[in-house]
Amino acid sequence: MSIMEYNGSAVVAMVGKNCVAIAADKRLGQRALTVDMNFQKVFPITDRTAEERIIEPKTFSNLVSHMLYERRFGPYFVEPVIAGLDKDNKPFVGTASDNLFGMCESLWEPDLEPEELFETISQALLNAVDRDAMSGWGAVVHVITKDGVITRDLKGRMD
Amino acid sequence: MFLTRSEYDRGVNTFSPEGRLFQVEYAIEAIKLGSTAIGIRTSEGVVLAVEKRVTSPLLVADSIEKILEIDTHVACAMSGLTADSRTMIEHARIEAQNHTFNYDEPVPVESVTQSVCDLALRFGESTDGQQSTMSRPFGVALLIAGVDDRGPQLFHTDPSGTFWRYEAKAIGAGSEGAQTELQEQYHRGMSLEEAETLALKVLKQVMEEKLSSTNVQLAKVTEQTGFQIYTKDELEAVIGRL
Amino acid sequence: MDFAQFQQAPVSVPTEHHSHGNRWDPYVDNGGTSLAIAGEDFVVVASDTRQSNGYSINSRYSPKAFELSNGSVLATTGYHADALKLVEHIEQRAQLYFHKHDRAMNVSAMAQMLSGILYSKRFFPYYVFPILSGLDAKGKGAVYTYDPVGNMERVNYQAYGSASALVQPFLDSQVGFKNQRNADPSRLLERPQAVKLAIDAFTGATERDIHTGDWLDLFIIDQDGIHQTKRELKHD
Repeated sequence: MSIMEYNGSAVVAMVGKNCVAIAADKRLGQRALTVDMNFQKVFPITDRTAEERIIEPKTFSNLVSHMLYERRFGPYFVEPVIAGLDKDNKPFVGTASDNLFGMCESLWEPDLEPEELFETISQALLNAVDRDAMSGWGAVVHVITKDGVITRDLKGRMD
Repeated sequence: MFLTRSEYDRGVNTFSPEGRLFQVEYAIEAIKLGSTAIGIRTSEGVVLAVEKRVTSPLLVADSIEKILEIDTHVACAMSGLTADSRTMIEHARIEAQNHTFNYDEPVPVESVTQSVCDLALRFGESTDGQQSTMSRPFGVALLIAGVDDRGPQLFHTDPSGTFWRYEAKAIGAGSEGAQTELQEQYHRGMSLEEAETLALKVLKQVMEEKLSSTNVQLAKVTEQTGFQIYTKDELEAVIGRL
Repeated sequence: MDFAQFQQAPVSVPTEHHSHGNRWDPYVDNGGTSLAIAGEDFVVVASDTRQSNGYSINSRYSPKAFELSNGSVLATTGYHADALKLVEHIEQRAQLYFHKHDRAMNVSAMAQMLSGILYSKRFFPYYVFPILSGLDAKGKGAVYTYDPVGNMERVNYQAYGSASALVQPFLDSQVGFKNQRNADPSRLLERPQAVKLAIDAFTGATERDIHTGDWLDLFIIDQDGIHQTKRELKHD
């Protein structure tokens, strides 16, 4: 088993029309052992409503990319996903990534409105983690629009 | 030059010059000494009725079993050597269970009949020079009654390993008279209730003893309930209709 | 914790079975994906036709879903040669049944028999993941799934094969209505929806799974028989 599957997880992000969504499950484990059922995996980097200087997603993305490459021969064992307004596509990581690939490839379509995007990302994540023993225990979804961030908790199968 | 009849009697695998297998014929004769059994098929199900020869007042009548269950949807009435019938019915039961195990469905009635007849032909047979398991034909005739997706069916098997499908059939000592009677009285539109009465009526005519709820046994196989032997009360109710 | 063991690239490379020095292996995974969706009075069965071995493509049109003599369809994944032998084995037994009982096997009988056939090779199994589809005795769509040693389950839908991890959650969502509060999870799809979803599933699977692609064999089983169509998938 790869170290990338040590904690288990599923993280996904999607682009909609003038919005993006990022979502993650809540499980944290040590291999098959579940340690935490409410573990935060999505972290805010900037708040777009703040008037001070903020970092653009693309810039931050480049920064993270460099930080990861710096550790080329002793990497951080993480697979980050960055979502922000202006603009990204739809990457996904974690132990459920095959499942997420399958879901997103067939459910996602361009130019979804925020509510449609929320429904799509939620369906994609929940159905993906239900077929992965290493992810799950509910999920959290953030939809980022120009007006702010909508955060919703999803109830999922607790097994 | 030709061997006499009695010399051909000895080998079960030897044809006589006239093309007869005497041991098989004698086995068929043996059935005519057995107690009478009757089967009648209707569109609602099949009725089996047998005579039980309670030869002594000390004999426990309930211990005489001449109608036996093969599976929940197939039953069998026998006449002839009871001990031989045990082997055949055991074989039929295994065949029925194997079929369900392999195909998750009840065994067709004709198939279980065929498998019993296959066994009936295995007398004198041996594998790799070993002692054969059965040295003579079975001295039993069976009336196999059942219901499957082809509806209610009645089969008659004899010791030669042949089987026929019947609408109504009698075997055993009183079979000749009973068969004539069935031929006259049976009709295709008959209900199960009419068949119950006819079976006991015909049995009553050919039995030496007076028919009562202790010396006959009645059973039916229907789509709804499968195989059922009539209780004493149910049997007496039918006798009351005679 | 000893992290040294994880220092290698966390990527698994398919084994090349024909490279020198490798011990001969009686089993090969020929990739590909199969699925079946049951409806009220029909079943949709779909399989891609790519046959691969590691990174090489043996054939772009090597069907792995087979029509059987009793009007059912067996969709397979796993080792193709074993799948072909399994079909022969089933057909031989079905023919014997036909002669012995003077009728064709219905799907439930064949399903139980297939379980037995697979289990009879418990210690040298057919490396096949079969999905048996047809109409049951009441005319309803029936899908039976198996593991290689015969564990059987009747289901409403199933995806097996190299893209099963991609397709199964999609079917859970769109066919099984999982994680949808107001939906009835036992509701069966209408025929056009089922066909559309089967095609969508393979379009998605072909996009992300290198072992799935080329052509899609589609079967629709209903009262009138088996209707087969062939569609193009991406060839890359």
